[in-house]
Amino acid sequence: MTIAGSARDAHWYKDAIIYELHVKAFFDGNNDGIGDFAGLLQKLDYLQELGVTCLWLLPFFPSPLRDDGYDIADYRNVHPGYGTLEDFRTFLKAAHDRGMQVVIELVVNHTSDQHAWFQRARKAPPGSPEREFYVWSDSDQRYRDARTIFVDAERSNWTWDPDAHAYYWHRFFSHQPDLNYDNPAVLAEIEKVMDFWLDMGVDGFRLDAVPYLVEREGTNCENLPETHEVIRRIRAHIDGRYGGRMLLAEANQPPSDVRAYFGDGDECHMAFHFPLMPRIFMALHLEDRSPITDIMARTPDLPDSCQWALFLRNHDELTLEMMTDEERDYMYLAYSADPQARLNVGIRRRLAPLMGNSRRRIELLTSLLFSFPGTPIIYYGDEIGMGDNVYLGDRNGVRTPMQWTGDRNAGFSRAHPARLYSPVVMDPVNGYQAVNVEAQEGDPASLLHWMKNMISLRKLFRVLGRGSIEFLQPANGKVLPYLRRDGDDIILCVANLSRFTQPAELDLSALNGYVPVEMLGYTEFPPIGTLPYFLTLGPYAFYWFELQRARR
Amino acid sequence: MPDADRAAAVAPIVVGIGTYNNAGTIAAIARAVRDGLCRDFSVRDSRIVLADGGSTDGTPDLVREALGDAAGRLVQVGYPLHPVDLFDAPYHGLPGRGRALAAILGAARELGAQVCTVLDANAEGLAPGWLAALIRPVLDDAFDFVAPYYARAPHEGALTRSIVYPVFRALYGVRIRQPMAGDFSCSGRLVEHFLGQEGWQDGARAVGVDIWTTTAAVCGGFRLCEVALGARRHETRGDAPDLSMTIVQVVGALFAGAERRAEFWQRVRGSSAVPVFGQPTEAGDGSPIEIGRLIEAFRLGHRELRDVWAAVLPPATGVALNRLAQADRPSFAMDDDLWARIIYDFAIGHRLRVLPADHLLRALTPLYLGWLAAFLEQAGTAGAAAVEERIERLSLAFERQKPYLISRWRWPERFNA
Repeated sequence: MTIAGSARDAHWYKDAIIYELHVKAFFDGNNDGIGDFAGLLQKLDYLQELGVTCLWLLPFFPSPLRDDGYDIADYRNVHPGYGTLEDFRTFLKAAHDRGMQVVIELVVNHTSDQHAWFQRARKAPPGSPEREFYVWSDSDQRYRDARTIFVDAERSNWTWDPDAHAYYWHRFFSHQPDLNYDNPAVLAEIEKVMDFWLDMGVDGFRLDAVPYLVEREGTNCENLPETHEVIRRIRAHIDGRYGGRMLLAEANQPPSDVRAYFGDGDECHMAFHFPLMPRIFMALHLEDRSPITDIMARTPDLPDSCQWALFLRNHDELTLEMMTDEERDYMYLAYSADPQARLNVGIRRRLAPLMGNSRRRIELLTSLLFSFPGTPIIYYGDEIGMGDNVYLGDRNGVRTPMQWTGDRNAGFSRAHPARLYSPVVMDPVNGYQAVNVEAQEGDPASLLHWMKNMISLRKLFRVLGRGSIEFLQPANGKVLPYLRRDGDDIILCVANLSRFTQPAELDLSALNGYVPVEMLGYTEFPPIGTLPYFLTLGPYAFYWFELQRARR
Repeated sequence: MPDADRAAAVAPIVVGIGTYNNAGTIAAIARAVRDGLCRDFSVRDSRIVLADGGSTDGTPDLVREALGDAAGRLVQVGYPLHPVDLFDAPYHGLPGRGRALAAILGAARELGAQVCTVLDANAEGLAPGWLAALIRPVLDDAFDFVAPYYARAPHEGALTRSIVYPVFRALYGVRIRQPMAGDFSCSGRLVEHFLGQEGWQDGARAVGVDIWTTTAAVCGGFRLCEVALGARRHETRGDAPDLSMTIVQVVGALFAGAERRAEFWQRVRGSSAVPVFGQPTEAGDGSPIEIGRLIEAFRLGHRELRDVWAAVLPPATGVALNRLAQADRPSFAMDDDLWARIIYDFAIGHRLRVLPADHLLRALTPLYLGWLAAFLEQAGTAGAAAVEERIERLSLAFERQKPYLISRWRWPERFNA
């Protein structure tokens, strides 16, 4: 039986507040030290109360877990550590009952080398359909123009397979062979996998590593027209069978190349704005708006049905790939004085530690996340300012157990602490005893309550998700003002990127006669006239104004 | 029903009545409907839709009998009644009213109605001209929603006057006197709109379906008007809920609606009147109320419920209430702005789930009685015009205090978290 998607509005993702979480890390329902669907189910009330409208789950499929589940060994099941398919169904229904959509991860570029398809391929004769599920070569010299992404772990994109007597192609870890989309049988199988989850009622997929689907000699094997053709066919397949579902592309590429993943509204509904994210951090540290305004000026318009996915932090390192060498150097110096925090081309830290635990900076960045054009994504734990642990290897330091209480195991599990899939964060500043949900629920001034208020406020103003953006250019470069518009709704946002009080003179003469009403406290400001509108902003302050027409 | 049949089966006028064991009143209503339709319209163009929840007292038979010749125009539909509907007696007396209304609206759509008039089966004294008064504005003047404006004595309908009307007006910007009346008319366009909305027929919202319809009409941008209908008496049933329960249901529905429609009402400023057909009349004095007992009930509530109040009311309001509890009768007065803030703070407490909704709203009862005492003390023997003027002043206070509500709605103080 096919279960309909849960959203009534086909463009639901434009007004969503997405919460990214790892089932493993959220809550342990059976006390074996690993988070599971039974645990997640128990915490849905928390998420509903927080106000998020969509959950994005990191991979939860059977996997040898050599890349935290991004190495999928079976697309149609749940990793036994996280529960059963039935548990997933129960969770999905409960989330839908609470009005939340659920987006799951689908790694379409590669599988685990433990996947039955790969085990079958390596033993199959060259040229056979089974063999051709993956990309093979007698030499490791093909596609030499393709870069190696995990530079800290892999030297080549080819690895020798002694069983197959051939090299196989992988853009990521050597245990993650790339699927061969030149073989039509591969796409047909992937479509069946999608149907399997969509039939269950899943509302969308995040398509992992989507620029790398197809390889061609003489290219860097990224963003190829053939890759876009595969995505178009996936989209057409889904649109032909289901309504109200969403595809979110992970394409860590410059804005102009990411734009292609929306196609003419016939590829992905959403894609992450990767280049914006590090530049927000850069602008903050530079106390200068230009990194943000520059990248936004280079951000192309999208087809009507499409939307950017915005984030500050996620389950990966703060990637600096989409920056120049000099920008990257700046970021390393600014945000990773400790070399241990660096990984691949990025910084493996959570939001609160990156902000030096400054509440004002966290709030400022969150205000940008919530007021830029796109759909905001909150990484689990960042709503309470959770800490990280850069000594855990790879990106595991930002995937530690959710900090629920000040009790043993941060209230995440009642298992013996040694059994936890990962140690909880224990540092005295961001560790679970200082930072946890229970304490913040009881503290009216906590970051958690602030987040709840902001989420609820953002949901009142669709213009923040859907409207256009126009930057103002006051002389003071430490101040970032912008207008958001959608029909009659106009919102003026002003952010102070500096740690000191700043003045701003805004040219709002085109809005002469409007009355700015500060949105958080519903406080009326003096009406806009023809002279520059003068504002003073405290350290890292931000103002959101709804512009109301003057009363007759 | 196939489209071709639907075009053929046009019954421009549909009058719907939801019933469940209304043997006491239904025959008179059915006769009034028949007479009203015969007098002012062509009976051939009309259908009377009876949505019955499975009456055991012969209500449908009484309707058929009362309609006489017009019984051929009767369309009877059922609506599912759940045992839980019978457990909690709703203030309007019709269990499962949301589903009854859905059944009526569904039938109206099937019949291709241009106007659907819904009548409350508990009300007595349906005057002959009322039906036409409710129907005409839709047929003749293209209004989408017609709300009744009943005349009421100064102390009657106080819950509507002191909370429902001023809050509805301040929030949604429309001056509808009785936004939760059980009788109303809607256009075919609005019937479609109602049926296209989800989640209102069932659950807790069903109790407040009357205010839901008015709110949906306002938020959907439909054309609204009122018709002055004189006085109408509602039969008091043995199972009618007490005042606290009525407050839980009525104010709860009002607050729940505010939560669903925050995006709409937080953009509305000021309010405007809607066209009124007919001349509002004065109702008689009704039976007197013992003001001293109201004040006593307020004082008792103040002693017993202060701590509950403190969970939602800010300290300044607490101090003002302490003062009021000590005031003697001649100086017993509640400031309009204070009353508006109290209601708004309860709305915020309701939204934040500070207490279970039932407990919270029941705790409002003595405060309401205190307000009522002050109101009656002031209104005294004043005439209807003075009462009107008084309610207008109160409503302006609710409008004036709306920024207070919005700011706390968006950024709750959580002073007692």
